[in-house]
Amino acid sequence: MDESQDFSRRPNRRRFLQAAAAAGIVGVAGCNTPGEGTETSTETDAGSVDGDTPEQIGSGRSPFGDRDISDGVSMQEMPDLEGELTLYSGRGQALVGELVSFIEDLYPDFTIRPLYNSAAELVNQIETEGQNSPADVFYSVNAGALGALEDRGRTQSLPQEVLEFVPASFRASSGAWIGTSGRARSVPYNTDTFAESDIPTDIMSFPDVSAFENELGWAPTYSSFQAFVTAMRILEGEEATRQWLTDMQDLGVSQYADEFQVARAVADGEISAGLTNHYYIQRVLARRGLSAPLRTTFTQNDAGAIFNVAGACVLDTAEDDTLASNFVRHLLSAEAQDYFARTTFEYPLVPEIEPIGRLPAIDELNPPEDLDLSQLSDLEATIDLLRETGVL
Amino acid sequence: MATEHETTDDGADEESPLPLGVSVAAAAVAAAVVLPVLWLVRTGLSVGYAEALALLTRPTTVQVFVNSAILVALTTTTCVLIGVPLAYLTVRTDIPFRRFWTVVVSLPLVIPSYVGAFAFVSAFGPQGGFQRFLAPLGIERIPEIYGLEGTVLILTLYTYPYVYITARASLKSMDTTLIDAARTLEHDRWEAFRRVTIPQIRPAVAAGALLSALYVLADFGTPSIMRYDVFTRVIFVEFGTFGRDTATLLSLQLVAVTLFILWLEARVRGEERTTAGGRSRATLSLGAWRYPAMGFATLIAGLALAVPVVILLSWLGTATASVNQSLAFQWSYVTNSVVVATAAAAVAVVAGLPVAYLSARYDGFLPTAFERISYVGYAVPGVVLGLALVYFGSQYATPIYQTLYLLVFAYVIRFLPQSVGSLRASFLTVDPELPEAARTLGQTSAGAFRYVTLPLVAPGLFGGAALVFLTTMKELPATLLLRPSGFTTLVTHIWTAYESGYFGQAAIPALVLLFVSGLSMLVILRQEGYDVK
Repeated sequence: MDESQDFSRRPNRRRFLQAAAAAGIVGVAGCNTPGEGTETSTETDAGSVDGDTPEQIGSGRSPFGDRDISDGVSMQEMPDLEGELTLYSGRGQALVGELVSFIEDLYPDFTIRPLYNSAAELVNQIETEGQNSPADVFYSVNAGALGALEDRGRTQSLPQEVLEFVPASFRASSGAWIGTSGRARSVPYNTDTFAESDIPTDIMSFPDVSAFENELGWAPTYSSFQAFVTAMRILEGEEATRQWLTDMQDLGVSQYADEFQVARAVADGEISAGLTNHYYIQRVLARRGLSAPLRTTFTQNDAGAIFNVAGACVLDTAEDDTLASNFVRHLLSAEAQDYFARTTFEYPLVPEIEPIGRLPAIDELNPPEDLDLSQLSDLEATIDLLRETGVL
Repeated sequence: MATEHETTDDGADEESPLPLGVSVAAAAVAAAVVLPVLWLVRTGLSVGYAEALALLTRPTTVQVFVNSAILVALTTTTCVLIGVPLAYLTVRTDIPFRRFWTVVVSLPLVIPSYVGAFAFVSAFGPQGGFQRFLAPLGIERIPEIYGLEGTVLILTLYTYPYVYITARASLKSMDTTLIDAARTLEHDRWEAFRRVTIPQIRPAVAAGALLSALYVLADFGTPSIMRYDVFTRVIFVEFGTFGRDTATLLSLQLVAVTLFILWLEARVRGEERTTAGGRSRATLSLGAWRYPAMGFATLIAGLALAVPVVILLSWLGTATASVNQSLAFQWSYVTNSVVVATAAAAVAVVAGLPVAYLSARYDGFLPTAFERISYVGYAVPGVVLGLALVYFGSQYATPIYQTLYLLVFAYVIRFLPQSVGSLRASFLTVDPELPEAARTLGQTSAGAFRYVTLPLVAPGLFGGAALVFLTTMKELPATLLLRPSGFTTLVTHIWTAYESGYFGQAAIPALVLLFVSGLSMLVILRQEGYDVK
């Protein structure tokens, strides 16, 4: 537990220690991880960690009562919802189920029929169902899936007063979809090995850092990773991206099935840094406590720092578009935005609501300028590139 | 059960024409299975020849193809090497606590392989529980569990029961007087086993091995967790990028590979013979070999069962700390799972009867074709089958779309081979002259089937139903796509909890799943007890 404040500046420290006294370091790392299992046994109640704001992370309490929400538009001020709504949710029930039930329970004559699955499968399902789709609203983990539905002409424009909840860069310029919460690409690093200053602020220079040799992890099948590579293709060009992918593999980057695993592996010391969305780090910290040797940093103004959104759209098959768009409006309410901040550790997109955890405010991030999120739905060329370079 | 009545009026003469009623029933079943594949072909064709060719000849595609082939070959072999000896031990020898071992070595089937894989990674991965346990002894690295070896290990542990159960059903209904006869002809035990038992159980073992092979081919979760690149992964990646067409094309390629495996299995199956129904329960006395025999069973069951159970229990212990309200366990998940699994098992057995019967009793193109076709749905990845039925359901069957009927239909298509394989193996062990004899004694054809054939194939029937029930209980991808909105089963709940990292919440449903499936296994074994003796 006392490892958290020990910011060693020596990249090779870990390897040295591992050779000399692996048992010792494991023992220390294992202090707050009683029992066996890797991450699972470490689901310590974060509420018991003493300190300030971040201790609320992951608490089992109602997400709507733990901090004062003074700004934003409350659900009370929004139009009532009435009728039946079929919601295809590409966001997991564990993450948003509580919010969905909350909205449903708010109105006596309102029923939500949710169908949870991965966003890509739901997009394929909606496309396959064609005009017989029962779906009214599609709720997605990323802009790419929303853009894919827009490309296929399956969305309808949201009312202007709904769109105006978030800054223009977080919604489709056509008004076809709107972001509801934000997710920043980030670099989780192990504080036993690295200091924040050891991590380059330029993603393109990662392959040149010798300390990263065999110490990095990524999850190339994960959609956010693919969106990141897509951004690199757009910003740096095809050739530079190809070179970067090749160099990263030469560096000995480890592959994981998802980014939560990457973040856990960094906290375990299995690897020392990785590429993940920012909230995976928060989720690991929420369970293991802030003493876990894991911190977040960001690259600056490049593909490694893109800021993607989770969002929603109303489908062309929606039975009642007013109901559907008013439901989307509720996702932008002060309560919902606060819920995202505290429960999913995402960035609220409505400017009045603050993020939570050890995260910089949204305007302190430096995502690449002039990158339209809709462009990130162009995954085919990215997949080809990942295949050609042998990443996939 | 109309089809059963038809099945009896054929006698058993292999030269006679196919019985019409059974053939029509079997043809209908085959047509239902082909339905989703037709959608695959339709979508696959729309991809375009040039892209199709480029995709299929890509070096990485070739590489994953080779990887898949190696994985299937190795896993199937180890499944046979484990499943057949265990079946023999629990049916034919005096191994102590025989019934106990029968249950225990069947049980790994109730654990979804992806849960098993995760438990193993959790326990034996780098920095896992096992390594931490050994750390004070100065052991800092344990052998790598990821990769081919680990994938083979996990898939073997959770698919060998296919071979075990089919081999066991066949051994149970096999006539042991033949062995006695061989023994009187001065064959030693091994010789008698080789010359009598092996040919008798070969079709059943081949059927079981086929199920294992097809499971391995279509499984995505395990290779993904074990970080071994196989075929299904390319398909998964395509789906993840909204490349539905390309994924469909690759699935067609997977179906082609399946057809190849079916062809291979038909060759291995060899010359089949039908014999008189089971008599005589001669058992082999193990003597001092009892201990190694029990050790073998303990090792297998211990690895396959104890590791995930311990891991699940340890998750359970941590579940209370951060309870996610929307993931609270509800008993309706159990009811939902049991209802759909029972329905799927019943329908799959009824649908499997005509197909299995024809194929066991008649040579020729149609019986073989119907039986082979019944396997195709099994090899289509669940996600692709699910999408095919989404298309079919939403376009042509809107009244049953997003209802349990379509869901059960999907399960039956996907798991039909399990009932067909098991039933077919049992039909092969029933001497066709027995129902004949009943008819000469004045029974109607239906009566002969009811009183003679059916009791003799009962082990296969229940074995098949059990397999379908258990695999339906743990099926995931098709369930996610076809379940009605708001319908949650044990596995969809486990998936939700696991996927979002709330492992503690996955523990209860996983343990309940194990318990319910285990119970069903007990019921089946009991049922078998008085049906065949």
